[in-house]
Amino acid sequence: MSIKGVMREELQNSERMKVRYEEELAALPRGSLVKRIIKGNEYYYLVYREDGRVRSVYKGKSSPEDIARYADAKQKRAEYRNQLSKVKKQIRFLKGALRGNEAI
Amino acid sequence: MLCVETRQYSLCKEVLRRLHNAGVLDGMVVAGSWCVLFYQAYFERKTFSPTIRTRDLDFAVPIPARFAKKADIGRILDGLGFVLDFRGEQGHMRFMHPELILEFLVPERGRGSNDAFDIPALGVNAQPLRYLDLLLTDTITLEFRGIPVRLPHPVRFALHKLIVAQRRDNADKAERDRDQAVLVLRAVVEAGDSATIRDVYASLPAKWRRMIDASLAEAGHADLIPGENGI
Repeated sequence: MSIKGVMREELQNSERMKVRYEEELAALPRGSLVKRIIKGNEYYYLVYREDGRVRSVYKGKSSPEDIARYADAKQKRAEYRNQLSKVKKQIRFLKGALRGNEAI
Repeated sequence: MLCVETRQYSLCKEVLRRLHNAGVLDGMVVAGSWCVLFYQAYFERKTFSPTIRTRDLDFAVPIPARFAKKADIGRILDGLGFVLDFRGEQGHMRFMHPELILEFLVPERGRGSNDAFDIPALGVNAQPLRYLDLLLTDTITLEFRGIPVRLPHPVRFALHKLIVAQRRDNADKAERDRDQAVLVLRAVVEAGDSATIRDVYASLPAKWRRMIDASLAEAGHADLIPGENGI
């Protein structure tokens, strides 16, 4: 049984997976929708980072759909980042093993 | 009962549980190297230890597809961290995750085409594959962590592996196919069911039997197909 053959196949899959997670992350709406209560009224701000600084853009009274969209994006971003980190570790391990640096 | 619990097994269980709850799991048959793991419950032998397998968890769907309910596989997997990928020029769909890669397969029909086959009942497309009917003809149902999972009969699984091994361009994959087939056929023989191997083998077209013979010869296990009087 060629373990290296299986590992080569898995490396290809992991590299493809990395590209797909990065694409999905890039396609998510940027930033997080933050609620602020001013004089008893709810207002929303889009908060994101740009050039190392936190930016806050006034969005007003956002629709429930918008709020849900940003909440969903926030959850997906955390999920995809977590998986992307695992995939990167797999790629490092598989490349090392195929070069003979890791015990198989 | 399988006792090894890993993140991969947990995710596999969760995927199967969600498909089962959505009412679509019994309309498909698990194919590929994961079957060998599930067969541990069938053979009930501690010495039956599955060989190496990839992350691919394949689901074979008969044509016409029969599902009690319509489902959206993408939604079913929501929140588990899968990402959808379209593979090759034909755009075969697969759901990728660092622990598992899910793909759907259908039997190839007519003169053969590699075009993706739409399964509207699941909201996915599937890759047509030759010889897949062999896996769908006679299935068994085993429990995996309390979830009923349909699998090809082990003999059919093994003979299918021996056939496809002859068509592989990739020598590593062909070797893996043969190894898995030999492991399963040995377990069938040890379970005293050589007659099923003989019967299924005899029911196949001559060309398929020649492919099986060639693979077994390459694996050095030509003895695994019993003659008229058994092994």
